Amino acid sequence: MNTSISDIEDRVGKLLASYLESSGQPELAAHGPITPATNLVSDFTMDSFQVMEFMMELEESFDIMIDMNSLSNTHTVGDLARVVAGLVD
Amino acid sequence: MSLLDKFAAAAAIRSQMASGGHDPTQVVMDRIISPTEGIVEGRPTILAGTNNYLGLTFDPACVAAALEALQNQGTGTTGSRMANGSFAAHAALEKELADFYEMPYGMVFSTGYAANLGTLSALLKPGDTVLLDSDAHASLYDGCQMSGADVFRFKHNDVESLEKRLRRLGDKTADCLIVTEGLYSVLGDCAPLDEIVALKKKYGAWLLVDEAHSLGVYGEGGRGVAEQQGVMHEVDFFVGTFSKSLGAMGGFCVSPHSELELVRYVSRPFIFTASSSPSIIASTHEALRQLRARPELRERLWRNARRLYEGFKVHGFIVGPDVSPVVAVRLGEKEVALPFWNRLLESGVYTNLMVPPASPDRHSYIRCSISAAHTEDQVETIIQSFANLKHLLTGV
Repeated sequence: MNTSISDIEDRVGKLLASYLESSGQPELAAHGPITPATNLVSDFTMDSFQVMEFMMELEESFDIMIDMNSLSNTHTVGDLARVVAGLVD
Repeated sequence: MSLLDKFAAAAAIRSQMASGGHDPTQVVMDRIISPTEGIVEGRPTILAGTNNYLGLTFDPACVAAALEALQNQGTGTTGSRMANGSFAAHAALEKELADFYEMPYGMVFSTGYAANLGTLSALLKPGDTVLLDSDAHASLYDGCQMSGADVFRFKHNDVESLEKRLRRLGDKTADCLIVTEGLYSVLGDCAPLDEIVALKKKYGAWLLVDEAHSLGVYGEGGRGVAEQQGVMHEVDFFVGTFSKSLGAMGGFCVSPHSELELVRYVSRPFIFTASSSPSIIASTHEALRQLRARPELRERLWRNARRLYEGFKVHGFIVGPDVSPVVAVRLGEKEVALPFWNRLLESGVYTNLMVPPASPDRHSYIRCSISAAHTEDQVETIIQSFANLKHLLTGV
């Protein structure tokens, strides 16, 4: 199945919103729409535990395994979507 | 942005941690009186957060062994074992550790951190795969990352999550190392090693277990959780530390695989570190003998652990599902936990504060580690000191 990068970005953004809502992240309401440029740490002050927890949710949702080493330069929803795109095809 | 600007974030953490009066990361024990008591800011303080599970730090035989080594072998080894030679005592301790675990090969490192870094970075290489419990200690994460292997996490203690990943790996499981702990040190929960071993065998993977907090605590012989669950001989590599039940400093790896002897030649944290001082090796060796010869230490430890756990429950505190020598009390928000921890210290009880992201979920905890050396009165005082502060927890 070929899924476009924009579809994946959209899905990652929705999963992020859902994760932040469930964890009561205060910045969510004040933040505009989540876009590929949304930065997990600077826009939502996610700590390292939350980032790793969210990675687990992505793994479950896309049925993939994300190598921790692939996350070192991953900061935005777009970065994450590219990592996911490389694993779902 | 200059080089040092990045420390602004650390400065913010420091000032937040100190906002309750004392910084939990900077407690100074002015004097140590016994394994369970010290002087902090002039106050006699019960030490309930030191991981001194068997209380052997002041054991006369351990102290005498250290003194004897100090006098006869000097203060230090002044170098790496690979470059500057091994003292016979280091090799003897390796032999005793291997014997203790009923395995042929043993290796000693200068710290527990170095043991994990040194073992994992040598065992794994780029192209290999690690399946790591998500709550594993930082040293296990760091060792895996240092190796360059592909690192995937599975949900904490979740064998279904582990099996899903093993299944996905297909024929790559022959190069896959599962990495887990025995007793997890923050919440005091144990890994289902019997089930993990079954999966390791089913998929042909390898297993490394860190028994840092479970050595001396679990199992009939005090070897750890794997012994308790009857799977000790199915584990490929055990790592652990001397800095908890053995009351000193250092780390080890034991294994049934002869390749452990070759780890010495390729493990940078082993090769490029000075070996432990003779006094440390001597007290560790004696502590291991004490551990083997005195099962009553474990009995006392567990009696104290059960009393502490039940005492907290009676007073309505939220504790983990199982009794263990690590008892973590859930306090919810950091803003509640920080003053609670401060008032405990001021009342003469030293504990450990765990706040996100260092805690394994979104809650803050006060963690106690109980010792065989705690007296019944000390255990009651710890419980009562918590109960006296219950009013700070409204809404938790």
